[in-house]
Formats: sequence, C-alpha cells, structure tokens
Amino acid sequence: MGALTKFIRNLFDKSGSSQQPEDGREPERLDPDVSRNFSKIRQAFGNSKDVVTALIRDGDLDSGNVGIVFLEGLADPSVVHEMIKEPLIRTVKAFRQEADHDRQDKLAFIQNNVPAVEDSEPAADLEAVYHAILSGETVILADGCPYGLIASSSGGKERGVEEPTTQSVVRGPREGFTESIHTNISLLRRRIRTPQLWLETMTIGKFTQTGIGVMYINGIVNEKVVEEVRQRLQRIEIDGILESGYIEELIQDETFTLFPTLYNSERPDVIAAGLLEGRVAILVDGTPFALLAPALFVQFYQSAEDYYQRAEFATLIRMLRYGCFFISLLAPSLYIAITTFHQELLPSALLFSLASQREGIPFPAFVEAFIMEVTFEILREAGVRLPKTVGQAVSIVGALVIGQAAVEAGLVSPAMVIVVAITAISNFVIPAFNMGISIRILRFVLMIFGATFGLFGVIVGVIGVVQHLCSLRSFGVPYMTPMGPFIVEDQKDVILRFPQWALFARPRLMSKNNRIRERNAPTTRPERKSNGGA
Amino acid sequence: MRKYCAWLGLLTVGAAVLLAGCWDRRELNDLAIAVGMGLDRQGGQTQVTVQIVNPGEVASKKDGGGYSPPVTTLKVAESTTIEALRKLTVVAPRKVYMSHLRILVIGEGLARQGILKVMDGISRNHELRSDFYIVVAKGTTAGQVMKILTPIDKIPANKMFSTLEMSDKLWAATVSMQLDKFISDLSNPTKDTVLTGIVITGNGKSGQSKKNMSRISPYVNLAYSGVALFKEDKLVDWLNEEEAKGYNYIMGNVNNSAGHIACPGGGTAALDITRSESKVKGKVARGQPSIHIDLFVEQNIGEVRCEVDLMKEANIQALEEIAEEKLTQMMKAAIRKAKKNKADIFGFGEKIEDADPKSWRKLKKDWDDYFSRLDVSIQVNAKFRRMGTTSNSLLDREE
Repeated sequence: MGALTKFIRNLFDKSGSSQQPEDGREPERLDPDVSRNFSKIRQAFGNSKDVVTALIRDGDLDSGNVGIVFLEGLADPSVVHEMIKEPLIRTVKAFRQEADHDRQDKLAFIQNNVPAVEDSEPAADLEAVYHAILSGETVILADGCPYGLIASSSGGKERGVEEPTTQSVVRGPREGFTESIHTNISLLRRRIRTPQLWLETMTIGKFTQTGIGVMYINGIVNEKVVEEVRQRLQRIEIDGILESGYIEELIQDETFTLFPTLYNSERPDVIAAGLLEGRVAILVDGTPFALLAPALFVQFYQSAEDYYQRAEFATLIRMLRYGCFFISLLAPSLYIAITTFHQELLPSALLFSLASQREGIPFPAFVEAFIMEVTFEILREAGVRLPKTVGQAVSIVGALVIGQAAVEAGLVSPAMVIVVAITAISNFVIPAFNMGISIRILRFVLMIFGATFGLFGVIVGVIGVVQHLCSLRSFGVPYMTPMGPFIVEDQKDVILRFPQWALFARPRLMSKNNRIRERNAPTTRPERKSNGGA
Repeated sequence: MRKYCAWLGLLTVGAAVLLAGCWDRRELNDLAIAVGMGLDRQGGQTQVTVQIVNPGEVASKKDGGGYSPPVTTLKVAESTTIEALRKLTVVAPRKVYMSHLRILVIGEGLARQGILKVMDGISRNHELRSDFYIVVAKGTTAGQVMKILTPIDKIPANKMFSTLEMSDKLWAATVSMQLDKFISDLSNPTKDTVLTGIVITGNGKSGQSKKNMSRISPYVNLAYSGVALFKEDKLVDWLNEEEAKGYNYIMGNVNNSAGHIACPGGGTAALDITRSESKVKGKVARGQPSIHIDLFVEQNIGEVRCEVDLMKEANIQALEEIAEEKLTQMMKAAIRKAKKNKADIFGFGEKIEDADPKSWRKLKKDWDDYFSRLDVSIQVNAKFRRMGTTSNSLLDREE
C-alpha cells in the first residue's frame, strides 16, 4: 500500500509542485488615517457591497474621525447599532469635551468608555482587521491611531437546534448539532458540566479559516491521542475545510482503506458519550457532523439507543446488526458461489426450486446478481439526491423494476430478487452510514471472488478483509479492539450490552489511566442482614 | 522498484482471478439433476438408467408446467459404469449432475451376477454424496423401476427415498442401506449384506405416463417388499417380512414397529413397539464360537382382539412372555435363512473377533462353515408400557 500511496503522490505532485508562493511579505500596518484605511479595506474586498464602513462624526474635523467597519450579514445589526454605534457617538462627544483631547489616544479613551471593547485585543495590521470583520466582529478605527479595536458583534442567521436526521432514535434526546461550532460546543458543555472538559481551538483552511474545536475530558483522555490529533490537525495545509469529512480524510491513519477510522455523528449525546469514554471530539464550524477519535470497528455497530433501551433488548438488536453485517457483506456472493459451484450443498428440494426459477434466465448467476445490485444502487442513489417531492417516483419505479418486472421479463430469478432485497435492507440496519458504504463496496469484490472461485474465493476474500481490518489503527488504537487484540473485560459492550450497573469500566485502550466510571453499582436486591443476632 | 513489485503482485492476482477462475462453474439451468439411478446388466454391458428432474414441473408454481412429466429417464449401456455415465451426454440435454441422487436401484439380474465391479465405479465417483439409499429391483429391472411415475411426490426417486425412510422408521421390515455402509459391508470378507427389494405393483406399462399420477388409485405403484440377502456381492436369497423384521431386531435397527401375538385364550392382540435395544455378544469356547443376543423391547398394546383382562398383572405377564417367544421366533427365522445361505449378514464374525481376536484368526478362514453351524442363543425381554387410551377390550362389553 505504501508503494501505491507514493505512486499516486508522485503522479499528482508534478502538477501540484507549482503552488502559489508563500507570501513572506510583512503584514501591512494600519494607516493613522481612517478614510485611507477604509479605502484600503474596500479595495481588498474588491469593493464588495457588504463591507460596511461608517464614520462616526463628532463635528470637529480637527480632532479627526472615528470609524467602524463590519460585514453586513455576519455582524448582528442590532448589536452594532446599540452596543457599538450609539456608545461610540456618546463617547466621541465626551472625548471632545475632554480638556487635553489633542494629546490623548483616542482609541484608548474609547476602550475605557465603551463596554463592548473594554477588553478587546487591538488589531495591529490590516490582516487582523480582515480576519476580525470576516468573523463578524466590528472594528473601530480612529484617526491618529495606527491600530483598531475589535468589538464582538458576530451574529447573523443560523439554523436552530433541530432533531438530527441521521441516526434517529426512538428513545433519546432529540437535539442535533447545528452548523455553528459555538452552538455545538455549548450543546456538549450542557451535557458535561465539568471544567475538565477542555476545548482547544484552531483555524484551518487558507481561505475558509474554518474554526476547529478539539474537545476532550482531561483526566480521562489519553494525552498521547490528544497530542496526535493536535499534530495531525496542524499538519493540514489546505485552502478550505467545508465539512468534517475533509478533516477525516486528511487525518485518518491509513490512506487506502474502505473502512472509516474516524467516527462521525450529529448527535451531541453520542459525542458526549465518546468524550466520557476518553475519546477526542473534533468539531468543525459549518457542519453539524462532529468527529470522534479513536474510532473502533465495533463502534459503528452501536447506536445511541443501545444505551437508552434495556440491556437485553440492546443485546438482541446488536446481534441482529452483526448478523445483518454478514448478510449484507456475504449474501450475494454466497448465493452465487453455492448455486454455481456447490450445488451439492443445497437441500434437494431447494435445489429443484432454485433450478426451476433459473429456467430460461439468460445470464449467469453472477451477471444476474450484478445487474440487480447495480440497479439497487442506482435507485438508492437517486432516492438520496432526488427532491423529496419526486422521491415517491423512485420507490414506485424501484418496486416495479426490481421487484416484479425484472422477474416477469425473465431477466432475473425471484430468488435473486430476494437475495438482493435482503442484502439491501440489511445494509440499512447498520447504524453508521459510512460503514454501510464500505460493506457495499466489499460486497461487489466478494461477488467477483465468489463467481470465480466459489466458496473458496469467498473465504479467501473474507480472510483478506479480516486481515485488512486487523491491520488498521485509529490514532494508535487497533481498529478491531476489543476483538483483536481480545480484551475480555471490554466484551461487555461489544456484541452483548451488559446492564449499566455492570459497565463500570471504560474501554481499556481508550482511557488507560482512568478506567472506573461507576462505583458501588446499585443492585436491586435487599441488603443482606448481618446474622450476628442468633 | 517496490512500486513495480506492487504492480506486478496486483497483476498476478488479477490474472489469477480472471484466468484461472470459473473452470468448474456451472449454472443451475445447465444441470440435469439426477435423482435416481438404475443399474442393470445388458449382455456384457452395464446399463445405466438415470432419472432426471424437470425443475419447471417440480417446483410449485402457479402458472406454467403441467405439459410434461416431472422427471424423465435417460438410458445408456456401456462396458463400465463411468463410461456409461459419461456417455449419457449423448442423450442428456445438459450435464448430468449426480450429487443429489436419492436412490440407486440395482436390477435383480445384475445383483445375482455380482455387483462388486459396478459399485467400484459408484464409490469412486466424487460427485456422489453417500446419503442415497440402495435398493434391489425385485423380479424386474432397475430400468423399469426408474420409469414409474408416482403420485403425491412428483419425483419417483424422492418417493422411493422417503417411503423407505418412513417404513424403516415405523414398520422396520425394510433396510435403509446407504452407500458408505454398503461399501464397507462389501469390502469386509466375512460379513455379508442385505438390501431392500422394490417391486412394481400393477401393470408396469401404464406407470410410465402422467395418467398414472392423475388417478386416485394409480395403475402402478412402487412398493418395498422383502430384503435381498447378499452372499459376498451376489444376491442369493430373499428374506420375507418376518425374517426382515427379525434381522432388524438383531441389528438393533427397530425404532418403531407393529406386530401381533396370539392371546392365551385364542384370538390375537397387536403390539406397538416403541423402543428396542439389542446387544450381540460373541464367545469362543473350546474352539467353538457362539453368539448371544440380548434384546430388550418396549411395547404398547395396540389392539386387542381377544378376551383378556388387561387389568390383571398376571395376564400382562403372560402376554409379555408370548411376545418374547414371538420375537425369538422372528430372529431365529432370520438366522436360519442366513445360515442356510452361509451369509453372515449380521456381522457375527465381527462380534467373535471383538470377543476373542486370537481364536478369530483361526476361525476366519472357515467362517462360512462355522457360521452355518453357529450356536446362537437369544434372550428377549419385552415390556408393556401403556395400553393406549382405553383399558379392556371392547369385546368385554358383551358381559
């Protein structure tokens, strides 16, 4: 794989080596003149109309102008008006009445008198001003001062907290993350009310300057993982981050793998649970999907609801999910392998039935399966992308094409329709969408193996998949933990889901130093009386 | 360099998949699924008749079908079995697929001449599973048996299979012999073997068309009757029903059966046998081998056609003794028939070997003689367990 990576890198590096040269020039200082600063800023933004520059006039031209600059839409207009503009007008008037206003620093006076900028960092150069106004802040400039004051005014429209559309549950919180990283952080803080919940922020993306938040619970998390996350994030040099998927692909351990090695969720409760287990959450501004690292294979087969419903039920459902994993991965390939290579494995009655269904089918079983699988993938993709209003058309076409017409036209056998249908449905049982995709791709590979080598090929393929899975790591943690390496204590929460009172320890490889999450687990039994009396 | 190695590896794997794969792939609709096979002697050649399923007619489907019989037979004669099986391709529309064989019928004529040579080809064939039953066509050829269409179960071979299985389980006058056991019996020089006989009842010709299936009482049917006794690989005699049951009791093959006994005061009573267990022990005393059979039977009273007070324990005991005597007679009859033909179908020789391996080495050579003079003692312990859903016979009401 290493060679392949290098090969692809080399292939694209030829074109990529002529990147824009790093601008090593000094950041441009602010001019003492407000009007000149304004024109510079407007020029930098290409005279974009949403750059608002306003002068606060105090009537006395000698004492110079005070101006504010902000971006319409990013800054909250009422905040700008009430918290900045009005106090500024008052302050400027007050300043003029100051006795020695000629010698005093205008902005220092403003800082002392306008609450909105009391503890703001001064912006020393134009870059800082750009960054501030692009973040929705308002920058106050004044004649005679070669710096600006940044007043917090960010606002603008954003989506409220809604019910997440993915990973829906019957029982459980209905809140989902939104596109605003601040909201998302607050959603997590509201769930984990401890100062130990630490947040590190950084911005990634040369143009997008996307805010990234790395959250973890100090004392539970493995510091090495945090350090690794930090380093990998800092290594990213890209023009823009528009979704956490960018981050996921840029920091995952293995470049060539079908399996996701970072977990994503738009459910705050899921991310909070991950934090409590000692994982690191990576929140990205602009997307409701937060990442969790390290991610394990078994994690993708666990739903938030597993922990909200009773343990017995959750265990049963988990077993069902793993069953569906195997059906989804193997059903078509096993069907092909058995019906074209190992007919002796079938019970006689089943063989007669299958053989009669295949009478007159013009394609080999593999082609038959392939046609149906591809048809299903087409319908699925169409269903996802289609506007909701025409979505029904897809289901009708799907039911007719996949279900009946194909059989009646004699193109595929009814048994194959059943196999493809159960495969497709099983795939949706897997709670994580991205894990489902991995399985779908592997299914086609295994179908080819099954069609060429029969069961032997399928087994070789499965061994290959298992081998690959065992070779994967997610931030230093083996991907198949706790199956391989086998950790007996952690089996409580893999295929089985033990009752909460039995889940007193955190996963072993995740939180080495702080494993106990529950002491003196209560039992429902009455306390045994001491038999000292008799 | 590593890069090229990786590509070379990928290329090799790809080529292996694309070039070497699929070589024994066969689609379901390229198969002629053979369910029954008949072997006969025709001149100096082996005649093979295979019964092939017509899947479209067999599987339950609402529309279509009904125009042709559910099975068809193909017949070919060649000097060896394998050649004949291969030569079937000249008549078969598809590759004849033998893995789902349900029944192998051996014609009586071939069976009397010896089946060792024929069975070699059968046992070598990797495509055959060993879970089919082997029977002998009694008084007819296997080819004829293969041609009879049967009602209820559309596939005659299936019918033969399940009939034999059921009668073996509930009636115990048949022997369900599968390939592996049959071959091991044949290859044992001192042990002989048995196969159930199958007969065609009614006029054989009219069994070949679908009309036979559409009649409420078919013109022709297939039935099991008697058990063929093989001396080495040759059929030499037939066991009748009583003897066949006796054989099964000795072999411990009886799970369920039914029989009748004479009541002490005249009339008969039927017994429903629910469990049997037999222990066969060998012994060699002063150079003379002997066998002791210990049979334990649990039975219910199934039907009473005589006046006997079942509420009295003495009567029950008397009936038990009669039943024990009856079972002893059945087993003795089987042994008599075997002794007459000097065919150790019970594997008594093995029991002697187990008991006294040293003496067995001496006895082995002349085992046939020893067997025909073998001293067999039988001890039967029959116990009544239940009397069914009523107590005394309806006949008692007359009083």
